[in-house]
Amino acid sequence: MAVTQPEVKKTKKNILDLFVEGGRKGWATGINTMLPNICFAFVLINILELTGLSKAIGIIFNPVMLIFDLPGIAATALAAGFFSMGGGAGVAMGLVTNGTLTARELAILLPGIYLVGATIQYMGRLLATIGIKSKYYPHLFLICIINAVIAMFLMKLIV
Amino acid sequence: MISKDKNPVELNQDTVKVGIGGYIALAVIIAFFSGIFQNAAGPLKALDYTNLLGAFGKLGKLAEGGGSLAANFRGTGGNGIRDGFMFTLTLVPGVILSQGIMENIVYYGGIDAARKLLTPLLKPLLGLPGNAGVALVGSLQSTDTGAVLTNDLYQRGQLNERQLLTFAAFQFSCGAPIGNMVSAGAAMWLTMLGGIPLGKLLGVVFLAKFIGANLMRIYAAKFVKEEK
Repeated sequence: MAVTQPEVKKTKKNILDLFVEGGRKGWATGINTMLPNICFAFVLINILELTGLSKAIGIIFNPVMLIFDLPGIAATALAAGFFSMGGGAGVAMGLVTNGTLTARELAILLPGIYLVGATIQYMGRLLATIGIKSKYYPHLFLICIINAVIAMFLMKLIV
Repeated sequence: MISKDKNPVELNQDTVKVGIGGYIALAVIIAFFSGIFQNAAGPLKALDYTNLLGAFGKLGKLAEGGGSLAANFRGTGGNGIRDGFMFTLTLVPGVILSQGIMENIVYYGGIDAARKLLTPLLKPLLGLPGNAGVALVGSLQSTDTGAVLTNDLYQRGQLNERQLLTFAAFQFSCGAPIGNMVSAGAAMWLTMLGGIPLGKLLGVVFLAKFIGANLMRIYAAKFVKEEK
């Protein structure tokens, strides 16, 4: 955004104009990005619950997620996070609204979701555009996972 | 991939002057999302995201001692995509508010002020030259902006491969944290955090990003050979 500043300054805008302009972007983000992501997340949670998979995931991942004071089912939000930040956050919020996660657990989980967030997409959008050699992709994925572990552990200590 | 004369403005650190307004805008945005004025006495309360967000009206009134009431038009006890749809609608005002505020902050130079403050820190914190500041700040708001500007620096020979890997590690983990976590994300979950301020989450995410980038920096210094 900073890069467009010299051009923006040419036309004077007041606070109201800017707010409305931003609000329009917010509407587009809300309806075009968040809505489909969250709807997907709610469908995913429904599928997991209807098939009984959520219980299985909860049991399998419980020992790992316990390190962060989280229930095993939180792993589904992290897994969804690799594909889309909004999707991962949506799953986490869905788990809060159905009473599976508490506010504190959400606060621990969210930084983890964002730090691995959308890395599958960003492989193309970011790493390929920057010009990173593909042999370093695994290293970069590993760093995202390490970051998420550090962040969730820190959050566990401070919230 | 990118021609040498593309983006000349972005790469010149002195092109954009940062006035006092920029620093004020930056301070306002930090205060706004950090929650420090949430319970402030007097008019300072208006400088808080959650306070400005307000609340939806409740659906009706409860008879004394009986029944339950939905907190808003989403209702209670829904599930599946229909519940997801209604839930998202409750979040949209928050996104409009945060994007509306961000648009002002960008216009009044808040982001440029952040860049000015960050640039001298790049060498010690990430081992990157100061002229990576624009790409770094761009990457905080948009993953694609960061990617294009970073590649441009590499093409111009202003970053070597080790620095490129370090910078990529920084950007790859939680890409566009301001764009994703503040402009769009905060609205989604801020009200669900039970008073835990956004600043705490953002602080931890940034700390983790710097730690991760430095792990890559150490790895690259040891194992990546510069091709010359």
